[in-house]
Parts: sequence; structure tokens; C-alpha cells
Amino acid sequence: MMKTKIDQFISWLDGQAADCENKKKKLLEDDRIDESVFEKIKINVYDIFRTILLAGEKSSNGDAQKLKEFFLLKLEQIPAHWIASYNKAKQNDDIEKMQIESLKLDTVQAIRAKFLQNWEEKA
Amino acid sequence: MNEAEAIRLFKCLSDKSRIQILKSLAIEDMYVERLSERLGLSAPTISFHLKKLSDAGAVTSYKSQYYMMYSLNQNIFKISILDILKEQSDEADLQQQRDIEYRQKVIDTFFEYGKLKSIPAQQKKKRIVLEVIAQAFEYDRIYSEREVNILIANFHDDFCTIRRDMVGEKILNRDTRGYWRIK
Repeated sequence: MMKTKIDQFISWLDGQAADCENKKKKLLEDDRIDESVFEKIKINVYDIFRTILLAGEKSSNGDAQKLKEFFLLKLEQIPAHWIASYNKAKQNDDIEKMQIESLKLDTVQAIRAKFLQNWEEKA
Repeated sequence: MNEAEAIRLFKCLSDKSRIQILKSLAIEDMYVERLSERLGLSAPTISFHLKKLSDAGAVTSYKSQYYMMYSLNQNIFKISILDILKEQSDEADLQQQRDIEYRQKVIDTFFEYGKLKSIPAQQKKKRIVLEVIAQAFEYDRIYSEREVNILIANFHDDFCTIRRDMVGEKILNRDTRGYWRIK
């Protein structure tokens, strides 16, 4: 059951990353370079949490609760630096950095919501 | 407009969204949300592009009631590309321009919001960083070691290393009275 949930979630993460990749290509073709970079940033966030989930799967030894706690902890720990960076950018009116950090944080929120939904659903 | 400014402007303009923003502003001055609705881009994305356009001198802003309005900097677009190409630039100017750009790149890399992120290992870069910190010191004034430490600590916690490096690089001098900035 845990394996199914992991596979479903990995499949969702890959799907999201693939969507971003498509958008990135379209934006590049449309000469919207910075916005294509925004999509690349989102892809990186999906990749980070994909790697973390797989690492958590290994370390949790089949314990679904342990994996859930591990992943939710990482969903708090990793963006903590991005939140700090966003706040610092806001204080300094650094719009470019605010936009980048905000994209990363929005992506993490989406990952968290989907993870919780996926984990509570029956496999 | 010098070469560096022209390159910065052209780089900034080589983006469809930014061209769309400029086209909208050519019609009338607009605020972020209006541009966002008009172009179908999120408000933060519009703000991001406006910041780049503003840095390149392509747009200006002013406050109007509750809104920050953006307008096209007509003057910059009245300059012909031919005028830019005809502008004289000898090798000495170009070298100076390259030095300025390199210096700025080092400063942008090592400083964030006025704080030094890390002390560069490379001598040339460290020298630039120390020169930036030195700007906090007035000429013709003797500083106590404590005052020097406080001024440097505004940039980085490791004020001892930086203080010693500034003396070593002959940016600061010292004797029994204290420290002073070398001209």
C-alpha cells in the first residue's frame, strides 16, 4: 500500500515537472526567457522533493507513518531558508528575488497539499 | 548612451513579455494590476519585468493616489540605434568599462543587501570587497580599533580577518594612535 502511494505521488511529481518542462519550451520558443526560467525553478523544486521522497522510502523501511513524518518535516525544513530569503528580499524591495522565492514556496505548498491528499486516500 | 547601457537595454528588450509591457505603456501609463489583466500575466511576473525595464532605463514610475504608475521613458527610445553605433569608444574606455563591469559583478556576487556574504579567496576579488568596505571610513580621521571593528562588523562578523586584510592591502594604516584610511 505504501509503495502504491509513493508510486502515485512520484507519478504526480513527474507529471507536474513534465508540464513545467512543456511550458518552459513554449515560453522559450515565444522569446519569454525569464518566464521560462521560472518554470525551470519549479522543475527543480519538484526534483528536490522527488529525491527526498525516494530517500525517505529507503530510510523508513516500509513504515508509512515514519515516511509521512519524514517527508512533512522536509517540507518544513527546506523552504525555511526560502521563507527567510523572501522576507529579506521584501525588506530590501528586491522584486526579482521575491518572485523567485515566491515561486519556490508556491510549488512547495502545492506539493504538500497533494502529498497529504494522496497519503490520506485509500490506495 | 554608452555601450554598456545600450547592451543592458537591448538585453532587457529581447523578451516578448517586456516588449508587450512597453507596447501597453506606449498607449498610456499603467499600474501593475492593469498590465497584469491586459497581458494575462500574474502581477508578480509583471512587477519582475517592470523592475528589469526600470533598471535598464526603459520605464519610469510615479505614485498616483494608491497606485504606482509606470510610464514609458520616451527619451531613451528617441535615441537612434545609428547614434549608438556611431558613438566613439576607444580601447582605454572599453577597458575601463570592462573593469567597472567586473568590479560590479564581484560586488553583486559577494554582497547581499549591503552585507558581505563571504570573504573571497581570490586576491583580486578580495581587494575589491575590501575597497567597498573602506568606503565606510572617512579620510583624515583616526579610528580606534573598536570603531574599526564596529564599522567592519556592519558588513561581516569576521571583522578581525577583514581588519588585518585591510591593513595588509594598504587600504588602512595604523600606529599607536589608531587606524586611518590611506588615500
